[in-house]
Amino acid sequence: MEILSNLALGFGVALSPFNLLMCLVGVVLGTLIGVLPGVGPVATIAMLLPITFNLNPIGALIMLAGIYYGAQYGGSTTAILVNLPGESSSVVTCLDGYQMARRGRAGPALATAAIGSFFAGTISTLVVALFAPPLAEVALKFGPSEYFSLMVLGLVAATVLASGSLIKAIAMVLLGLLLGLVGTDVNSGVLRFAFGVSELADGIGFVVVAMGMFGLAEIIVNLEQTDQREVFTSKVGRLMPSKEDFKRMAPSILRGTALGSALGILPGGGALLSSFASYTVEKKVSKYSHEFGKGAIEGVAGPESANNAGAQTSFIPLLTLGIPGNAVMALMIGAMMIQGIAPGPQVMTERPQLFWGMIASMWVGNLMLVILNLPMIGLWIKLLTVPYRILYPAILVFMCIGVFSLSNNPFDVLIMAFFGVLGYICAKLACEPAPMILGFILGPLMEENLRRAMLLSRGDPLVFFQKPISATFLIISIVLLVVISLPALRSKREQAFAGEEQK
Amino acid sequence: MQIKNEKDFWAGLMFMGFGLAAMIIAVGPPAFLVAAWKSMGWGNPEYGYQMGTALRMGPAYFPTVLGGLLAILGLVVFLRGLLSKLPPETMKANMSFGILDFVVGVALFAGLGYGSKVLFKSGDYGMLAASVILAVLSFLFRPKTKPLILILACGMVFAYLLKPLGLVLATILLVFVAALGGHEYKTKEVAILAVLLSLFSVVVFVHGLTLPFPIWPAFLQ
Repeated sequence: MEILSNLALGFGVALSPFNLLMCLVGVVLGTLIGVLPGVGPVATIAMLLPITFNLNPIGALIMLAGIYYGAQYGGSTTAILVNLPGESSSVVTCLDGYQMARRGRAGPALATAAIGSFFAGTISTLVVALFAPPLAEVALKFGPSEYFSLMVLGLVAATVLASGSLIKAIAMVLLGLLLGLVGTDVNSGVLRFAFGVSELADGIGFVVVAMGMFGLAEIIVNLEQTDQREVFTSKVGRLMPSKEDFKRMAPSILRGTALGSALGILPGGGALLSSFASYTVEKKVSKYSHEFGKGAIEGVAGPESANNAGAQTSFIPLLTLGIPGNAVMALMIGAMMIQGIAPGPQVMTERPQLFWGMIASMWVGNLMLVILNLPMIGLWIKLLTVPYRILYPAILVFMCIGVFSLSNNPFDVLIMAFFGVLGYICAKLACEPAPMILGFILGPLMEENLRRAMLLSRGDPLVFFQKPISATFLIISIVLLVVISLPALRSKREQAFAGEEQK
Repeated sequence: MQIKNEKDFWAGLMFMGFGLAAMIIAVGPPAFLVAAWKSMGWGNPEYGYQMGTALRMGPAYFPTVLGGLLAILGLVVFLRGLLSKLPPETMKANMSFGILDFVVGVALFAGLGYGSKVLFKSGDYGMLAASVILAVLSFLFRPKTKPLILILACGMVFAYLLKPLGLVLATILLVFVAALGGHEYKTKEVAILAVLLSLFSVVVFVHGLTLPFPIWPAFLQ
């Protein structure tokens, strides 16, 4: 069994004292930012990127991955106790989790979320270990046309899965692709869209864009709203769910895990989409559908399992194809590049320790998270009482120092402010930033592969449809776009995302 | 004509603006503008990148295609904003500033930035001055824009004053400006927070992570 020896190698790496420490740091940070509303994994990972420069590659990636899935655990605590999504993927957990808390069942709700997440984490780690290697082998045969078409598929998927208007999401992708082209053109050496500013010669830093669009814009939008929070800090009560609870949650956890694992692999998928899909499924399937929205345990178990499974399997396209499925994965690519690792299918064969170490660390991290989130829940609840007016200046200090330190130049902070304005405007105009970020990271890659493919085909654009793998990707993209624009489906999709927009 | 859906209306304009700008910068302005430029006796303008062919794409090829697509999509979104059947009240953008305020802000940054580049060979002073002026303007005349402007200004103040003033003072300034952008402002609380955060950043970032920041103002050293 090759996979067993691979996993053994991975655990050997993940269990080394230093990597264990990095994993712990990652999941603690992840839980922390997950619990705190208004700080997301994207901003946090972006903030930490410059710091990872001083770490070894394995430790750095283990820590950053821990932040992402750790945030899925932490986010549910806030959702259940405060009725605010600590993390965007726990929006649906608010619906039933908070109602359980109001009925004095906060403890079982928290325990259900943690148990579901842990189970999902375990299974999806196995899914990653099983599916990543064969995918990477296929990907090794990819040429430029396959890569180009795959990126088209990824971008189309990102727009289809984005909430709100499809056409605006596509426009945001195009805007992101364009912004990604700023800087020196690798083929001709011509400076593009630099307006004579020498700092733009290397392009706009991804971290700066992400911090502006997500970090700054989020703080500004939060400050414009005044919301009252009701925190159930005093009484969490008994943690352990009853026998009856276990019976009801088990099938939901299984379904959530399966759904999340599948949706996470899709480019453009990940935790957020998985949790929404799972809630919809649970509501349809459950015998207790009348209880949904009033504190049904299935409404916590399903989505919480799904978001954790989705968070982990979204590493598959990153590790095997070098293509980021969402904004967090785009940052992971940035982290790999800082360490001098070119993301792509060769990572598995050339750096097996990194590849399997990261996979094994996910399971280790999940184990740590259960311990962090159940016995130590009181600590995180205390954190919730810290008012936002104390939190956001602290976040701003870390963001500004992080961005400034990228090149020791105030110019990066200026660009971050620019993207802060853009992010604010986009939020107000209901244009989603996530597809833009994906386009931004893929822009230069897409152009390069497009040019190479056209050169190889002697200028014949039909090459994308002549190669079978490439043609398949493009046909799936077209079908996705057509299907989603059908009026019947469009209204369904808008309904599915309606809950999210109300937050 | 009435704007039916404000969000789509402005989003469409924004996309069209970005798309057209990208195309014009990539291939150069339309011929009549170039002719007008030359007729003013301003010489031959430098513009545009090489287009190339589908076989050998030049630097202008990909951006032109993308910009064109973006402009077309922008037009569609814009028209939808004009023709939407949804009730207009639900589609208000609720932006905290108007389009005129936006133009004033951009002009302030462009003007002061350019001016300081000409005068001092560096745009930094202009950027800092523009942020401070904008923050004061927002405070006095547009209280609704305080979260937006002061949060952006606090970063600018920090970034442009870090080297001359050092990490401690820059962090304290950042915290105060940021706090002014929030709902509640309690001087004592903010002061404690500012001191704690500056202490923390010195210990963690300068001593711990050895970032090359000055701690104290340049004139004290």
